[in-house]
Amino acid sequence: MKKLQIAGVTLGILLLLSFPFIVPNPYLVRVAIMCGIYMVLASSLNIVIGFTGMFSLGHGAFYGIGAYTSALLALNLHWPFWVTFPLGGVMAALFGVLIGVATLRLRQIFLAFTTLGFGEITRILILNWDSLTRGPMGLPGIPIPSFFGVRFSQAGYYYFILLFTSLVVLFIYRLYHSRIGRAFIAIREDEVAASHMGIHLFGYKTLAFTIACAIAGLVGAFYAHFARFISADQFGGNESFAILTMVALGGTGSIVGPLLGAAVLIIFPEVFRFLAQFRMVIYGAILIFVIVVKPGGIVGVRGVFEKPVQALRAKRSHQKGGR
Amino acid sequence: MVVQQLINGITQGSIFALLAISFAVIYGVLRLVNFATGATYMMGAFAGWLTVQYVSQNIFLAMLAGLVTGWCIGFLIEKVAIKSLRGVARIASLICTIGFSIFMIEIATVVFGAETKAMPSFFNEKAFTLGGASVVWYQVFLICTAITILVLLQLLIFKTKAGLAIRTVSLDFKTAGLMGINVDRTISLAFSLGGATAGIAGVLGSVYYNIVNPTMGNLQGLKSFSAAVFGGLTSIPGAILGGYLLAIVENFGVQIVSGGYRDIIGFVILVGFLLFRPRGLLGKKASL
Repeated sequence: MKKLQIAGVTLGILLLLSFPFIVPNPYLVRVAIMCGIYMVLASSLNIVIGFTGMFSLGHGAFYGIGAYTSALLALNLHWPFWVTFPLGGVMAALFGVLIGVATLRLRQIFLAFTTLGFGEITRILILNWDSLTRGPMGLPGIPIPSFFGVRFSQAGYYYFILLFTSLVVLFIYRLYHSRIGRAFIAIREDEVAASHMGIHLFGYKTLAFTIACAIAGLVGAFYAHFARFISADQFGGNESFAILTMVALGGTGSIVGPLLGAAVLIIFPEVFRFLAQFRMVIYGAILIFVIVVKPGGIVGVRGVFEKPVQALRAKRSHQKGGR
Repeated sequence: MVVQQLINGITQGSIFALLAISFAVIYGVLRLVNFATGATYMMGAFAGWLTVQYVSQNIFLAMLAGLVTGWCIGFLIEKVAIKSLRGVARIASLICTIGFSIFMIEIATVVFGAETKAMPSFFNEKAFTLGGASVVWYQVFLICTAITILVLLQLLIFKTKAGLAIRTVSLDFKTAGLMGINVDRTISLAFSLGGATAGIAGVLGSVYYNIVNPTMGNLQGLKSFSAAVFGGLTSIPGAILGGYLLAIVENFGVQIVSGGYRDIIGFVILVGFLLFRPRGLLGKKASL
């Protein structure tokens, strides 16, 4: 059994590594790259929602901030990708800290609305700041990154995002099993108890939020150089909701869940092309379905949507005849 | 100029106030925000548009259609997002209403198309001139209708038995249940009322802005939520006040910042109030 597992994992890794050679179809490689981008986005949002139990609905905005930062630096100052890429993450993290410090004291419902509002503000600013962002016309012609003088081919993009996704997943895995990760989960399970155990609620919440924003910013920077054209509409509310749906579908709080959710929701519309116009309808339906019928998502973990403590409390109160 | 801004503000404020009260009624009963309010507003507008297009050019009929649509949507959302999610983290219900919001907007996009449709105008004649500002009859009609609805809701909530149930449940639903109030039905009623108010607001708003499209409710819903927080989510008069004040502040704010940034004003107020005075202008000092 163990041998079989090792063989399976090795085969999987080999398949992933040789994917652009086995499938020399540029369209399929592009889908694989988009899969990678959304896997990273969903995994990073999962740190906020799944691990720490805070609901951010503005994740698309941080993705956009990373993309615009990197694109503008590359276009206006001609800095190389290897400099602008981390700066995209830094900028998103900066905004993350600012927004986090301002809003993370709020209760869940208000946090959700404030982050959504922040996402809208970001989109409106990008649309209206014509002199910097060219407003609704977007930013075309973002330079292709080069690696030691060789410009990225599609395979180059693929290997970059493969490596980056793996690193992010590894990072999240290590984070989950670290002291910090356990603190996040303690906050999710019961804030009061966590703070009595000496966990600095506000500090850890801000940390979780900032990490997630930084990762979203990094992958945004990558996306800008991959798509080579960005505009404000790509980072609006729908983007945030799509990422949220991926996390919910895969399973909030699990590490594999968001990866699966992202893969399913990216590949699904590509396979069922005739359903293209129903894409967001299906996202909405999935969101309702998952929460009502299968709160654990595909992976079936005990997610954020069914907290044991609150479930117990509600059960007790129900027995008393209340709601 | 000042008078004109003020009148525009009051007109738009009427729409905000209707939506804000929709948030406040539901928040009062359940301590939950119905995210799909903006989408309900949009569906109400489409119901009104369909009525005007295919049934008869009558704004009262259109408003009735908006009311019925909103009521049904509110009722349905309560059944799925609230009732079936008892004993689960409250945030699950919120995310579920987000699902409904996306679902309705996108269904409308598929069925009616994303392009903006024109709503025929009603009472479009100039009514009178006030301090250099011209007022259209429709503005008068809108303001009066909104105030009538708001007064009726006040009467319903503060003078009837159903309203008493709503207020009791909002104080303490467990005790309310012990006192023999049908908590389920009260919550359902509050959601339906909220939906109906949003639906009527949709018809009124679509005629005023002369716009019907699937995304018309997004900003409107978010801004009205800001208005409700501004005035106080836990207080129904507060939500109304917040709606009018937000629209007036917006109309004067545009004079200072450029028009493109108009939509940011609401969010700045939202964030500011949530941080420094979460209970709003008139809200009760409850734990938010």
